[in-house]
Amino acid sequence: MAGRNFKAIGLVLRSRILGESDRLITVLTPDRGKFEAVARGARKTKSKLAAGVDLFTHGSFDFYSGKTWPVLTGQDVIEHFSCFREDYTCYPYGLYLAELVDRLVSGEESNPEIFNLLLDGWKLLGENLDRALLCRAFELKLAHAAGYSPHLDACTGCGMTGNGAFSPRQGGLVCSECRGIDLIRLDPGTLALAKHLLQMPLASSRKVRSTNAQKDQLRRVNTAFLAYHPELGDIKTRKLLDE
Amino acid sequence: MAYPPALKKLVEALARFPGVGPKTAQRLAFFLLSSPREEVVTIARAMVEAKDRLEFCPACGALCEEGDCSYCADARRDRSMLCIVQEPRDVLVIERSGRYRGLYHVLHGALSPLDGIGPEELKIERFINRVRGQSIVEVIIATNPTVEGDATAGYLAGLLKPLRVKVTRIAFGLPVGGDLEYADDLTLNRAFEGRREIL
Repeated sequence: MAGRNFKAIGLVLRSRILGESDRLITVLTPDRGKFEAVARGARKTKSKLAAGVDLFTHGSFDFYSGKTWPVLTGQDVIEHFSCFREDYTCYPYGLYLAELVDRLVSGEESNPEIFNLLLDGWKLLGENLDRALLCRAFELKLAHAAGYSPHLDACTGCGMTGNGAFSPRQGGLVCSECRGIDLIRLDPGTLALAKHLLQMPLASSRKVRSTNAQKDQLRRVNTAFLAYHPELGDIKTRKLLDE
Repeated sequence: MAYPPALKKLVEALARFPGVGPKTAQRLAFFLLSSPREEVVTIARAMVEAKDRLEFCPACGALCEEGDCSYCADARRDRSMLCIVQEPRDVLVIERSGRYRGLYHVLHGALSPLDGIGPEELKIERFINRVRGQSIVEVIIATNPTVEGDATAGYLAGLLKPLRVKVTRIAFGLPVGGDLEYADDLTLNRAFEGRREIL
């Protein structure tokens, strides 16, 4: 029965109570995409699985292919991301990144880029940086990794450059000839910021300097842009971040 | 298999219990059918009676019978200590240990925005008002050692800070009878952080 056993490095996106003492975890892996697995008895204090099935766990997991869900048979924690436990202000940001990925990745499709992006995001949130700006960079890069990259170089309609408006419906910049009704003003500074965040590694958001107005404008652009994708429309944790 | 309608109804009703699937529901149904009528009536009455008589104390949120909370009303309890737990059954577990003799406050959950549970759902404001209105000296946060439980503890600690009460978190570490070899890094770290002198 060795064929029914498999190993995976993964990130725990969700951990829910199942039955009396089990947990149902949602795991994101670089090779197998996202899937749910059951951790039997993981809520018991002496469970050997308990430490590895909490949200925000980066671990090496052993599974057995069960009838309904894969069954977790062993775990080895690589990182716990304790910042989310110890700092309440950090917690909603970690949840937000997890929810975005959970919504966007629909099944067992390999996507190491998204896996590494989330891993980097969780690591960086533990550092002393602008978390809101990191979230903006994450949103742009996640959309890119999922194939929804916003067009920030030229008008999405005619290809003309030098535009100062963004259309969430058209997924990018629009010129005065092609503009529709869903326009958001995008200043040159904010556009340069968005391009930089999209192109550079996530960690580079540590060094980026931006004004509050630019960050606010980019937040509105990203929120409206993501809302056009059904999977990313109603993000529950966004409300918590806004508060 | 074609069940007689009454049996089908019973199996479907029993399958609504958490953790009970169709097979277990069927087994429970046949257990009831093979039991004397009086025993079945006793079980059914106990369920209805519990549902009718038990409620959550409006002050502490623990289970109480017909508005009479045995924890809030007990004059022998230490009224300077308040222990916060996630679920009403956590109160029963702590009571079973016999170590704690203060008051309780049950949150009925932990902060979990993904499940739609925020400060409003946990009635945090009511809890803060309770601490403010009573002569509480120490608040012990005994939420579960999960991310949600820890985040809730951090959030509550932040709200309690201006009230100048002592805020403590229950200790974490190795379970009694457990083996050090199988302990995970986080539990060990916390066990070392919470170490104490034995002499």
